[in-house]
Amino acid sequence: MGIAGASGATEQIAEILDKYPGGIKLVDSIEYLVSWARANSLWPLVYGTACCAMEMMAAGSSKHDWARFGVEVARATPRQADLIVLAGTIVEKMGNNLVTLYKQMPAPKYVIAMGSCAISGGPFYYDTYSVIKGGDRLIPVDVYVPGCPPRPEALLYGIMELQEKIRKEGRRNPWNIRNVLKTPFLDLHTEAKLDWAAKEKEQESVQKVAQEQFKIKNPDYKAPKAKRIVKEKFEDLPRKARAGKNVLNQDFFAALLEKFPDIHLFRQSEIQPVTVSDLGPEYLLDVEIPKEKYLELVQFVKEDERLQMDLLLQLTAIDWQDHFDILVQLLSTVNDHTMFLRCSLAKDEPAIETITTIFQGAEWHEREVYDLFGITFNGHPDMRRIFLNNDFPGHPLRKDFEDPTRVVKRPY
Amino acid sequence: MDLQAVNNTLPEGFRSAFNYDETSEEYYLNMGPQHPSTHGVLRLVLKLNGESVIEVVPHLGYIHRGLEKVAENQTYLQNIHLTDRLDYLSSHINNLGYCLAIEQALGIGVPLRGEYIRVMICELQRIQSHLLWWGVCGMDLGAVTTFLYGFKERELITDIFEELCGARLTMNYFRPGGSFVDVPDTFIPRVRQVIEELKRALDEYNTLLTENIIFQERTRAIGILDSAKALSYGCTGSVLRASGVSYDVRKNDPYSIYDQFDFDVPIGTVGGSFDRYRLKMEEMVESIKILEQAVQSFPQGPHRSKERASYKLPKGSYYSQVETARGLLGTYIVAEGGPKPYRIKYRSPCFSNLHALNDMAVGHKIADVVTILATLDFVVPEIDR
Repeated sequence: MGIAGASGATEQIAEILDKYPGGIKLVDSIEYLVSWARANSLWPLVYGTACCAMEMMAAGSSKHDWARFGVEVARATPRQADLIVLAGTIVEKMGNNLVTLYKQMPAPKYVIAMGSCAISGGPFYYDTYSVIKGGDRLIPVDVYVPGCPPRPEALLYGIMELQEKIRKEGRRNPWNIRNVLKTPFLDLHTEAKLDWAAKEKEQESVQKVAQEQFKIKNPDYKAPKAKRIVKEKFEDLPRKARAGKNVLNQDFFAALLEKFPDIHLFRQSEIQPVTVSDLGPEYLLDVEIPKEKYLELVQFVKEDERLQMDLLLQLTAIDWQDHFDILVQLLSTVNDHTMFLRCSLAKDEPAIETITTIFQGAEWHEREVYDLFGITFNGHPDMRRIFLNNDFPGHPLRKDFEDPTRVVKRPY
Repeated sequence: MDLQAVNNTLPEGFRSAFNYDETSEEYYLNMGPQHPSTHGVLRLVLKLNGESVIEVVPHLGYIHRGLEKVAENQTYLQNIHLTDRLDYLSSHINNLGYCLAIEQALGIGVPLRGEYIRVMICELQRIQSHLLWWGVCGMDLGAVTTFLYGFKERELITDIFEELCGARLTMNYFRPGGSFVDVPDTFIPRVRQVIEELKRALDEYNTLLTENIIFQERTRAIGILDSAKALSYGCTGSVLRASGVSYDVRKNDPYSIYDQFDFDVPIGTVGGSFDRYRLKMEEMVESIKILEQAVQSFPQGPHRSKERASYKLPKGSYYSQVETARGLLGTYIVAEGGPKPYRIKYRSPCFSNLHALNDMAVGHKIADVVTILATLDFVVPEIDR
């Protein structure tokens, strides 16, 4: 089979030389030389999806510097790379792109799965509906580097193991080379390994002598017994309330009630507006509003001079099994106040007006709610899914979402 | 020509109509999801006229892991480590935001030493994150040296974190009531050393990049976002402050003991890329200021309050907000009793900041899109969650 993935010419040389006496040794030497060169000039692809990418960058930067291992020229295009380090989680939407990237790389090509996510899904193995549980479900992986994320040193070790693999793979007699060339040239990895083993052996013998001498000098010595770590006890402290930034709750609610008399506090309906201040300075105003007044109220809250809620923090939804709640959180950069507005929606075919005309930023938030909860926003300029593929079945953040093909349920 | 058939093959999400004129030089260009300047797996589709940008449509979801769904089936304590993986460059601050919400729900207090540890660690994290951003920002604009410089100082802070909690990136260090372990004895001397080192380094950075005329030419008056637009998009952090709106959670709604420290919130004037860049550099100086004050008055005592075997939040909803290195991170927990949350929503700063990209990029050249992306400083897993 000759040198796996090598060019046709190299294969041909092997075939020709094989016939002559002693030729096989020459072939072995050529094969060794080619794989040695290949192992020491890996060109990685710039590919990182999540946290592990940071450690990959750290491995490539000043302190750890993977250029020492010949892994220097990080390429942005797969057509010039021969190593892909799967740094980070791979999700369904990215899966096709990853396979394309792998196919675009010229052979021989190698894959390192870095971190738990690329190995098996890691912390996102259970309950998640979008994560592919391991890079090897898509492309063949050569070396697995465990960790979440692995240290740069771990990645460097993974690269060294890959180099070891490359040096041996595809050769007819992977381990025979040392018979051909008595001393392997420039195989620093093996040399260092042997050196360390010799040093350790030497140290062990020194230690053994020292231990024996110690026993002769102190015949009554007994090693101390391991003790249980004393568990430190901490006091239970009461929480200090934060400085009253939300003292305006009462005024705000009164201002709202003046314009919209049919609103009430969420889950506090028995409390009158006079006593909003009783809920303390840390209480976040959480107002339940009727669906018809939704748009008008958001407009009012933004433009009223007393309220001036000028920044939309988030727009989200909660699935209460029997109905949905749309939750809008607004912030005032003028008086540092935040408040929630919530609006109840029926379970079947939930829909509400969009507030993109008031806050441009609501556009993506609404798309997210549409994607994950299936709530439509009437008049939205671009009502598409934002995170998931267009053909994804169902809306995953609904409580009744079930998809056994994608989700592995946590068994405890 | 069948216009309907052509329209069906056009890329999704564009507002501006396709120009069917034969003399027009408009075309579409895909960028990402695997692209070095998108800092991960963001995908942009650009509509260009020659080299000028007409419209940008970002496509998200290439790292959408369903964090919020996973969180619903884990106990409150188990969820702390998931917050690390939101914005992994400010994982301590994410932990803090989550712990603050639980502390609010259960009325857990934190001893003074614990609060000091929190503030110091968070500021170190902010500097660490900004250092990485500085290196990558330079590299995006073609200055590879900055990448190596930024990482050099960053490793000093990473070493402190490593000694502190054993992790370099995903810390899982803070707990409701403080942190899971006290700081080692070497902590204060090492922070002092880092402060000295950083002061020297920041001067060097300014000489190397900030005052570089090529860098200034490439960033000044690029990607301008006025304050009204920034507010409308819900931008926070340095993107909002660069547009002239002074809102920093540490100052305007102080959590932990930020109200006891003296620091300024730098504000920009124009709202361009250079303003955003300058602001981040100044934020590092302010963080050093906080660290210096904290080192001087670092108290003795317990580092945390009483541990609990399990944290069961009473029925209700709880919200906390913190200022991460990128902006306002909100943690919203809905509890229905029991050991697991009913729903968790993270309000991610990058999600809103990135939304403003189209407004900033229109009319600029394609190379300026990279500049804008670099100064927006986003982390894609936080956008997608």
